[in-house]
Amino acid sequence: MTAYAGLVLAVMVVVYIAAKLFKLSTELAMFAAALGGALAGGFGLPARHIAEGAMTYLDINLIFITATLFMNILKEAGGIAFVVRRIIGRFHRSRALLFVLLTVLLLVPGALTGAGSVTVLITGGLVAIVLQTMGISRVRTVAIVFIIAGLSAAAPPVSLWAMLTAAGVNMPYIGFFMPLLVPCVVAALFTIFFLGRRSGEIDLEKALQELPAPPQGMSWLRVAFPFVVFVLLIVIGRVWPHDTPVVGLPLMFLCAAAASYALSPIRLDFLRISRETIEQLLPLIGTLTCVGVLVQIMTLTGVRGLLAVTTVTLSVTLVFATLFIVLPVSEAVLMWGAAPVIGVPLVLLFNTMGLNPIVALAGMSVIWPLGDALPPTAIIGRLTVDVVGYKDAYTRFLKSCIVPAVFIMIIGTLMVIFSSELSFLTGL
Amino acid sequence: MAILQTLITVLYYGLIAYVAVILIWNFSKTRKWEQEVLYIIVLIPFLLRLFRLK
Repeated sequence: MTAYAGLVLAVMVVVYIAAKLFKLSTELAMFAAALGGALAGGFGLPARHIAEGAMTYLDINLIFITATLFMNILKEAGGIAFVVRRIIGRFHRSRALLFVLLTVLLLVPGALTGAGSVTVLITGGLVAIVLQTMGISRVRTVAIVFIIAGLSAAAPPVSLWAMLTAAGVNMPYIGFFMPLLVPCVVAALFTIFFLGRRSGEIDLEKALQELPAPPQGMSWLRVAFPFVVFVLLIVIGRVWPHDTPVVGLPLMFLCAAAASYALSPIRLDFLRISRETIEQLLPLIGTLTCVGVLVQIMTLTGVRGLLAVTTVTLSVTLVFATLFIVLPVSEAVLMWGAAPVIGVPLVLLFNTMGLNPIVALAGMSVIWPLGDALPPTAIIGRLTVDVVGYKDAYTRFLKSCIVPAVFIMIIGTLMVIFSSELSFLTGL
Repeated sequence: MAILQTLITVLYYGLIAYVAVILIWNFSKTRKWEQEVLYIIVLIPFLLRLFRLK
């Protein structure tokens, strides 16, 4: 059985590499690997399992779509530009406070949508303009936006890596809020203060000239009300769980999007924004659908069990010592697929060792996004470079990320090792 | 409560239908074969849910 599963795994790896050599996207390469595995396992083209696997992450896909729609409507309505201009207008004299508020601005879109790319597209460009007018070099600006965008994707309430892994081990996605929030906020603040340490005072006039002007009539109320609607829906569900119907995150985001649309001071083309949102999210929802198929075929052929058993029997010291490299590399190769493929057996291992699986998974979730700058995929890294308009060597950008990346790796690894001691975070 | 729950279910089906339509729309507009294939793969679960097959 082990030899059979090993052979199927080898075929999957070969098909994946071949697909990448033929310049196929990572999503399609994973899908091809799944088909190759099914054929090698003697199941032909199992339509039922492909459909079953494709369904796995439908709910998560809906969350991404509605959350990103909400963010895009807010951006199109001029809400984001309004907030950025107001923040720098009010706090331009205090560099520290400005850094903290810019960090929050970068964290919110990714935290709500679970996608770092949304942070880069919604607030990344605007924050980059502000950072550069503070005298921060372009390469450091790219690094700041990339690292915090990655952390925003790991931040609660929607953390894809944590959600996918938790689903894979049949663990409810509960108790993750503080274990994810604390390291993400600490690492994000460290990143902006470290990389922006040589910045000067903001050139307010230049910044206001370069930032897009919000439409007439935009106000704090119009920006804040959709968020109030969203938070209210969450709070109502938690305070009166037996007296309110289960609304679900997608519908909550949709309500917030509807509020943002209704309050927009300018007329918005809802259909165009929807089409652009789906186009923008295609790599992400495509990856999730293909990963679902891949994991289903891995389960069908016994490859998933082989990986789980192999990981569980690994030396603990070896696992701890290599987490910082295994997680980013797996992310670079499989993107979000790394969570169900690598994350699930690791969490099973940590659970059998008596570690707290929630805190350990939160620690891993903080490290994973670092792989988004690494080849062969480097999706968020390349996107950030494009959005900020950085033209120099890509390796220079990677070098400028090293110190914050090491800081994040240390935090994440320590969270895994001391997860039992940190288990109080799950109850906060 | 039951009526509200039914309403929410209907809204979710509406959302699924809307996303499916947008996916088909984008599929018809794209000129890249890789994106076309990906749109079809992504569309599968939406159609399965919409037609209550899954």
